[in-house]
Amino acid sequence: MGSTGTERCTRGTRRARTASFVHNRFCGLCGFCVLSVLSLLGWPAVAHAQPASIPNSCVACHSTLPDERLATPAKLFSGQDVHRDKGFECVDCHGGNPTNADKIRAHDVAGKESAMAFRGKPSGRAVIATCARCHSDAELMRTFAPKQRVDQATEYATSVHGRQLAAGDMKVATCASCHGAHGIRMVNDAKSPVFPTNVAGTCATCHADAQRMAGYKLPDGSDLPTHQFADYQKSVHYAALTKGNDLSAPTCNDCHGNHGAAPPGVGAIANVCGTCHTVFAQKFALSVHQPIFDKGCVECHSNHAVLKPSDAMLAASAPGVCQPCHSGEDKTDKGAAAAASMRAEMERLKAGIDRSGALLLRVKNAGIEVSDQQLALREASSRLTLARTEMHRFDPTTVTPILADGMTMVGSVDEAGRKGVAELRFRRRGLAASLGAILVFVVALGLKVRQIDRRDHERQPQPSAHV
Amino acid sequence: MTVIDWIDQRLDLSEVRHFVAEKGVPVHTQKVWYYLGGMTLFLFGVQVCTGILLLLYYRPSSGEAYESVQFIVTQIPFGWLIRNVHSWSANLLIGLAFAHFFSVFFLKSYRKPRELTWVSGMLLLFLMLGFGFSGYLLPWNELAFFATKVGTGIAGVVPVIGHFMLRLLRGGDDVTGATLSRFYGIHVAILPAIATALVALHLLLVQRQGMSVPIAVEKKAANGGTVPQMPFFPNYILRDVLAWYIVIAVLAALAAFYPWELGKKADPFAVVPPGIRPEWYFLATFHTLKLIPSHVLMFEGERLGVLAFGVAAVFLVLVPFLDRRASRGEPSRAFTVIATLALVYLVTFTIIGHYAK
Repeated sequence: MGSTGTERCTRGTRRARTASFVHNRFCGLCGFCVLSVLSLLGWPAVAHAQPASIPNSCVACHSTLPDERLATPAKLFSGQDVHRDKGFECVDCHGGNPTNADKIRAHDVAGKESAMAFRGKPSGRAVIATCARCHSDAELMRTFAPKQRVDQATEYATSVHGRQLAAGDMKVATCASCHGAHGIRMVNDAKSPVFPTNVAGTCATCHADAQRMAGYKLPDGSDLPTHQFADYQKSVHYAALTKGNDLSAPTCNDCHGNHGAAPPGVGAIANVCGTCHTVFAQKFALSVHQPIFDKGCVECHSNHAVLKPSDAMLAASAPGVCQPCHSGEDKTDKGAAAAASMRAEMERLKAGIDRSGALLLRVKNAGIEVSDQQLALREASSRLTLARTEMHRFDPTTVTPILADGMTMVGSVDEAGRKGVAELRFRRRGLAASLGAILVFVVALGLKVRQIDRRDHERQPQPSAHV
Repeated sequence: MTVIDWIDQRLDLSEVRHFVAEKGVPVHTQKVWYYLGGMTLFLFGVQVCTGILLLLYYRPSSGEAYESVQFIVTQIPFGWLIRNVHSWSANLLIGLAFAHFFSVFFLKSYRKPRELTWVSGMLLLFLMLGFGFSGYLLPWNELAFFATKVGTGIAGVVPVIGHFMLRLLRGGDDVTGATLSRFYGIHVAILPAIATALVALHLLLVQRQGMSVPIAVEKKAANGGTVPQMPFFPNYILRDVLAWYIVIAVLAALAAFYPWELGKKADPFAVVPPGIRPEWYFLATFHTLKLIPSHVLMFEGERLGVLAFGVAAVFLVLVPFLDRRASRGEPSRAFTVIATLALVYLVTFTIIGHYAK
């Protein structure tokens, strides 16, 4: 009977087909197939396609219950919920019989395999299984969200959360911990707990809770810290995400993974950072530090509290980050010497850019067009950026030529700026000379006018007016 | 034999000689206002000369306009000076034209028989504003681009013909390279041709009718008194030249110390930069339109505002025909009050518009 229903469903509308498919797959009940068939005949009450038209006693009863624990899910689900919007109902996750207004019959747990059997609130592995019933089904998901992945449950099983759960730890996060259980929103909905700007806060719900994290250990045996969120809030990534509104800026899941969340392993950190900072990762891979740095980028930049990098970091003395391994005091330390040499050249270029910029600004404010020179100066600035990138190779022989190139550009801009200043002087002098000449002429003209007036005055009487 | 004698033998300049010898300028306490017209005319000449020089290098297309102005101010010897003088002179010209307009308005110099002189002067004032509006876009920089968008948008709300005018001005629905070509044509051909004819008519009328004197001075003359006269040549013309030289000095100082910035090249896809406002001479109008509510009774506010400005412009042109008392040579308080209100309104709203966000 079920198969017949399915066959008939395939000739119906897309929504009807989907509803019928879900029922056949998970319910296997003739009654639901009848509903599907009715939908083909234009019956408006296909349970999952048009939820409003089928009697749903779950929301009707639960939303009026005085116990918030039981009422809130119904209220949330009947508000904005992506599953409800797609035609799903309480019964799809919780089982039970929504068509029966009788409390006992609606919650009948008889026949565990039946979709009509009430399963109650899933927890632990049951949550994963409940969500995976649809989300791991490529054929089904194609009818709702064809582009959505269907490997979340598989990934989850590889995560620290998944492994802990498999080991019997019921405190770990499951699907509902991050996405919510009722009132679930699309991931790209800004109010979703897994929207980029909300991810860190969602993870921090557990990971910043010292009491909840008590007993969890890192691979090295130390206690799992709870300051990651506080650290992350100090980072340049957090600032870019929340203040710069850059949704591509990394948050927890961009480095740790989302469904397969786990700390990047030693040796994988450079790869993780390199997914965004590609060129830096390439340069670092060629550097002398690559085989030495266990934690890759984190050695210098930290992990969660990644601060805005500055040239001051490149030094073997405070506040430089080379100092734990290198010593500025030790003249035989080649690493310290290399850092000092690269830093000195960078500072020279920076000073040159600042000096030329100030000169150009002065000339520009005086009205001399210097856009070409400003463009050249920007090019010199980009050489500085390039050198800062190249520096991750920690080889002065590759950094020096780039900085020298920048200095040549600054030199030509300086020259143009000096010419501008000379032109400015010429203009001012020219103006002074012109004004002097005009003044002399005006005075001479004024005297001439007075002379003429006096002469005319002596030749009185003057002509009378013609008005 | 001098060159003048040589020409005289062939063209008979006796009439010109007679005109120059006989022409006098009234001397009274308000005679200082006479110089405003001459200074405005001088600046018009400066505009023509510097404009022709700029034309030699300017390229009127959206792809080249900005670069050509950049080339003029950086690569052409004294190009910066020519461009700065042209820009500053345009502003001084409009300022002096307004001053000339108000002096004539207050002195009631428009009264019979000088109605046509007033009308031609008013049309010239509107033309100068048109020169300013069309010329502002030509460097094709960001501020000018968006200000033109706003300005032509205002033209678009004129009842009935608004949309037609908007498309006519823009050469399409939006400000594009077609608008630039159009404004260029208007700025260097259409407006100069009309302006030259009107300036010629205005000067002809001034020469033909002589200088107007204030009503009080005229009454005194009518009661048997006399109005002292100063020979036009050389007494008055030398004073005029003196004023022109002062204008040149001011222009040179402004060009050297307050150069006209070129700004950023216009990018039609860029976000509208903050602080977009028109040139100072349109600020009062612009700010008034901003203050008018979106709807006044059943009418669209902006449309009503534009209509009101149109009516005001027509009223100003018709002032000599409406001010019957002045035309009879009697004091006309009502029009003095109107002139005062207009002056106070323009100055106040220009200042408020300048500082408004």
